Amino acid sequence: MALTFSQIEGKSKGFYILLIILAAFTLIGFICFMVSYITGHHVLGTSNIIPWGMPIIITIYLIGLSAGSLILSSLTYVFKKEEYRPISRLAVFLAIILIFGAMMGIALDLGRPEKSWRLFMFFVLNNMRSMFAVNGILYGGYFLIGIVYLGAIFAEKYRFIRMMGMLAVFWAALVHMGTGAIFGFIATRPIFFSPIKPFEFLAAAMVSGLALLIIAVVAIFKFTKRDFNKTIIFSLGKLLLTLIILLAVMVLVDKLTHLYSPDREPIVWLLTGTYSWTFWGLQAGLAYILPIVLLAHPRCGMTIKGVIVAAFSVVIGIFGERFALVIPGTAYPLPFYPGKIEGIWGAAGSFPITPVESFMSIGIFTLMGLFLLVGLKYLELLPVGQTGQQAPQPEKKI
Amino acid sequence: MKKSNMSRSKEMKQTTLKLDRRTFLKLSGFAGAAIGANQIIRLDTATASPSPKNSQSALEEKWIATSCLNCQARCATRVRVMNGKAVKITGNPYSQVSEGKICPRAHIGLQVLYDPGRIRTPLKRKNNEKGKGIDPKWVPISWDQAFDEITNRLKKLREDGEPNTLLLFYGLTTISIEDMILRFAQAFGTPNLISGDGLDSETEKSGNWMADGHYTHTAYDLDHTNYILAFGADMVESIKPLSRFLRKWGKIRREKPNRTKIVVMNPRYSLTAAKADEWIPINPGTDGALAMAIAHVILSEELYHKAFIKDWTVGFDSYKKWVLSQYNPKDVSRITGIQPEVIQRIAREFAQTQPAIALRGKESINWPDGSFTSYAIFCLNALVGSIDVPGGVIYQESIRYNEMPRLVEDDIARKGKAKPDLDFRGTDKFPAAKVVTNQIPESLLENTPYPIEMAIGFNSNFNMFAPGTDRWDKALKKLPYYVHLSPFISEMALYADLVLPSTTFLEEWGYDHSPSGSGFAEVKIKQPVVSPYGSSRSVIDILFEITRRLEGGVAQSFANMGDHAEGFVKFRTGPLIPWTDFLKKGVWIGKDYEYRKYDRIFHTPSKKFEFSSGNLKSLLVKMKKGKEEGLDYLPHYKEAKFLGEKEKCPFVLLPYQPLMVIENGSQNYPWAQEIFLPMHGVGWETLVEINSETAKALKLKDGQAVWIESPFQKIKAKVKFSEGVHPGVVAIPVGQGHYSYGKWQKGIGVNPNEIIGVDYDHISGQAAFFNTRVKVYKA
Amino acid sequence: MPRWGMVIDQDKCIGCQACSTACKSENNVPHGSPDEQRLRKDIYWNKVIAVTSGKYPKVNTEPISMPCMHCDDAPCVTVCPAKATYRREDGIVVQDFRRCIGCKYCIVACPYGARSFNSKEQEEKEYLRQDLPPDRSVWGQWPFPTRTHGVVEKCTFCFHRIDQGIKEGKKIGKEVVPACVEDCPTRARIFGDLDDTHSEVSSLLASRDWIRLREGLDTKPKVYYLLK
Repeated sequence: MALTFSQIEGKSKGFYILLIILAAFTLIGFICFMVSYITGHHVLGTSNIIPWGMPIIITIYLIGLSAGSLILSSLTYVFKKEEYRPISRLAVFLAIILIFGAMMGIALDLGRPEKSWRLFMFFVLNNMRSMFAVNGILYGGYFLIGIVYLGAIFAEKYRFIRMMGMLAVFWAALVHMGTGAIFGFIATRPIFFSPIKPFEFLAAAMVSGLALLIIAVVAIFKFTKRDFNKTIIFSLGKLLLTLIILLAVMVLVDKLTHLYSPDREPIVWLLTGTYSWTFWGLQAGLAYILPIVLLAHPRCGMTIKGVIVAAFSVVIGIFGERFALVIPGTAYPLPFYPGKIEGIWGAAGSFPITPVESFMSIGIFTLMGLFLLVGLKYLELLPVGQTGQQAPQPEKKI
Repeated sequence: MKKSNMSRSKEMKQTTLKLDRRTFLKLSGFAGAAIGANQIIRLDTATASPSPKNSQSALEEKWIATSCLNCQARCATRVRVMNGKAVKITGNPYSQVSEGKICPRAHIGLQVLYDPGRIRTPLKRKNNEKGKGIDPKWVPISWDQAFDEITNRLKKLREDGEPNTLLLFYGLTTISIEDMILRFAQAFGTPNLISGDGLDSETEKSGNWMADGHYTHTAYDLDHTNYILAFGADMVESIKPLSRFLRKWGKIRREKPNRTKIVVMNPRYSLTAAKADEWIPINPGTDGALAMAIAHVILSEELYHKAFIKDWTVGFDSYKKWVLSQYNPKDVSRITGIQPEVIQRIAREFAQTQPAIALRGKESINWPDGSFTSYAIFCLNALVGSIDVPGGVIYQESIRYNEMPRLVEDDIARKGKAKPDLDFRGTDKFPAAKVVTNQIPESLLENTPYPIEMAIGFNSNFNMFAPGTDRWDKALKKLPYYVHLSPFISEMALYADLVLPSTTFLEEWGYDHSPSGSGFAEVKIKQPVVSPYGSSRSVIDILFEITRRLEGGVAQSFANMGDHAEGFVKFRTGPLIPWTDFLKKGVWIGKDYEYRKYDRIFHTPSKKFEFSSGNLKSLLVKMKKGKEEGLDYLPHYKEAKFLGEKEKCPFVLLPYQPLMVIENGSQNYPWAQEIFLPMHGVGWETLVEINSETAKALKLKDGQAVWIESPFQKIKAKVKFSEGVHPGVVAIPVGQGHYSYGKWQKGIGVNPNEIIGVDYDHISGQAAFFNTRVKVYKA
Repeated sequence: MPRWGMVIDQDKCIGCQACSTACKSENNVPHGSPDEQRLRKDIYWNKVIAVTSGKYPKVNTEPISMPCMHCDDAPCVTVCPAKATYRREDGIVVQDFRRCIGCKYCIVACPYGARSFNSKEQEEKEYLRQDLPPDRSVWGQWPFPTRTHGVVEKCTFCFHRIDQGIKEGKKIGKEVVPACVEDCPTRARIFGDLDDTHSEVSSLLASRDWIRLREGLDTKPKVYYLLK
């Protein structure tokens, strides 16, 4: 029995309402971006002490989701796990729009977005020692690879797909390790500085990408009234558990290392200071502990609801992980000189939530949502069974 | 059937694939266009910047020599003017008072010049109600109208035979303006000329006068001194002339073979204390006792300069007897809170490191008995022979400006000047005082010695900078007619009936010299670097116009002096330096300083340095206040009388002036505001500094809002825990708390002068700033 | 090729902040507002920090003036993707407003907090000036009368003065110095060629104890602080 894919009808009321809401928020986000672009970044929450705010956090989060999603699609196309084939096209498409969203995020964060072409002048006008510049190659290439990959999947050229798949996995790993390197190679910020950061980011990418994929699959299949095989979800859930444990171990090692001198004050502040709620609450709590408990639990791990709740928790928690990296990472005051530095120079930064920044950030998500809806409608992404049944039967039960 | 299905589905696939490819191509096409569009559409503000060629060729650059007036030092500067806009102020290397260097405030001059809150035209008050927070409803009028109004009123005062009911105030103005105002007062016939000196450090002058007859600030030969004992002196923050002290600090620390040792005694760990070699916290108001104890050590161990004492001083024996009997370091240790060993050590260092100077600052001498404290500290210099020698106290050469023509004094003027002074200077209330600024509110409110009909204020802002600001507000409100001249609406101008926009120091002609410090004389020019803002005029020109219109003796007294500001400056500085040279170089420097002028330097009855003040004695005896013999003419320490009881108000308030306070009456200057408190790393606010242990005992939290309440008023500010404040003292910076105008100062911080009580040093009339007690509690 | 560096004598420095003020007026650096200071959005090319240690009465406060350190191994130069900040041959780390895309990676990387992001267009007319120091890029001079927001700026060691001075044949370090050095009243700041053994900076470094800030990060800063 062959698996075929189709578009969604996209004519229901629900579809149009969702489309309009997403478009409205995207428009608001765009207006906020224009405000920030024309009058300057003083309307955002960033400052000279916390120079990177929501757009960057969202960017690295989306890159993670994208890379993770693309790597998971390789389970089908490279590692030939047929049970995941129904969701793999969606995974690749998600990867593309997520990386697009991430690049949007970077453009929003730049002080002068009209010069963003400068990020792509590899070797000519770029300083290739900068991880930002290297990531320009990686993200640009990744976007193109993703498109070619999806094209190959649609064209059903299986050997080409396998080749692209391998390239895509390798490149996706590089992409998010590269993102991790942007942070990990900065000695000034002890919370960032660690050789484990690229690996930590890769693990976080897989974890969040997988969690997002689980949610996307269940949500889309439910909305388009397709039955899906629950065993896929459960096996993905088990995979998620493994990956979370791997990530948590890496983070634990990283933080433990930093609790030894030198430069342990910033990490102690992260764990006990004003932003410790981001680490303990969001990162450790929602991204690691809660999902592990849910997924490892014999009963919860075997219900769709349990897996979904765990996946949501991960998705939010990994966002919190990015937040807990970027904001406290730069908020801690730089120790220019031993002793107590008076006044503003020695005070930790604060990151106020501003309306312009918040709506801009929401706009990125809704833009991607728009792309997703449009893609579902015009591209054959969702699986359809031979008999007209909307979901295939697996060949083997797992 | 299968086959057909399959082929159909294959077709479907193919068609869908085609659609796919097409949509993909479309999408990528759009993406490419978007990226390309970025390059084409330049959304940056390219229109704001003119093309390189145009701007380069059209630039006209001028460097103009002038001088600053953001504090009393009046440093010589050079201003760079591009296309008629002043863009940079830097020092004038010809000037030697500070070796061509300027303090940070000089740069702020650009913001003083381009202050957005300046007034363009004369303003007349429409709303007759006067008070804080009440809108005067200013109406612009022409200069002609303004002059008419003023001269009519002035004429009437003279016609009624009461020129003395004109009260003149002046704050920070050029010396040329001061000379003009003084001349005006003399020609017009009023003795009531009130400068801001009474809020500054008159006790330094009276202390000097008691010893050597010079009722002036002290000059110190800093270049050569090897030891500085600083009593409450903020040498690198607010002393006069600041730029000189800043430059010489660098010089004496590292630019001469012996590194000068600097010891600071102050209840507060000031920036000066931080950079000095030793900070000795002292109980507030006990500097006099410390000075006497140091004298005790020097006298008992015979470390004094025997030759100088023998040849050039009188009263030494009674002084020595008095000191040795009263001021044993062990007893003084209890008074000052300083260990006797420390007193002995620094006394020995002071006497044995030659040359050494003992320097006083406001914080030690602006107290009720400050004159005697000042005298006591000054005598230490004589004890070690540091009078008129290299590295010691020196005497500022005065400047022989071209004498103004003889004053044309008519009967009205003579009668007016013979009336008593409003501030009771020179009376038995303030026997030696030359001006008692802070007495004015009481005199106005009580109509003593007579009511005032009209007042003119020249860039004064006393109701911000004098203790007891609310009495000033009440008194100003009571004035029947008040004219205020300044570039902006200061707090004092809020009570004016007429405000005249005067030029800032960068737009006017003038001559200036620094307060005592260099020893040698130096005159600095002021010349306009840009044309005046709006229709503002310089004060000198305003006075020439007023006197012209007043006619009679007053006008005649202003004739033949140049007729306008530039002419006046040229007239006065003529004999010193050719005009074109003066315009170009900006400074004239007198001859080198001559030391050891002992035969003519002491203006005392004995013509020598007096340890027992003959000047004071003859003055007090004349006023039938003094006893013939007695200790009242020797330097001594009297326990300070505080305003407020210790049980209710446990802390002594210590207001201090950070460097970034611009002394022209406004603080509307963001460059100064954003770095206002460097020791605390913040700007834009007032912080109340309390010893951390004391603060914890009060159960306060660092950074919380607190009330500081004196027996008179209370203010609210943020508290800062400090390791650099005496446990019984609460330190607070002055300079904030403006409320009249200014986006960058209005409503920012608080003004400690609002809660300081009114008290005086009765010899000199100096307002006491440091003897108010306060309590602090959570807001 | 000279290697420009600065020496700040901590014994002479009195924390007066003339350096910060002179720099602001020389380079037309915008000021902030009280809120902007609280939120750390205001721009400082040179800042004076106060470091306190000890307890009453044995307290010590050190004012430390920090311009850009113009590190020989600058982290900001390493991380700038657009080559907007780069080290010139003479050691000055230049910030090219034209190339800067405002990604703020350099602010994250700078260990000395020397960099500020310009986050708003200045309204006050006093900031419109025709004469501002030209902003050098490899393609020639680009006068920048008003700054544009959205880029990062920092202390430039007043390279406009130095380059003009070299053109006019003047002695750099004696006749021509950065604005902060020129206007320091105590003469605590000295500028000159670190590689010239006869320059004042070299003789000071040879004769007095000195430190550089955050030596452990090995950025090779070229601003030296002579100890008291």
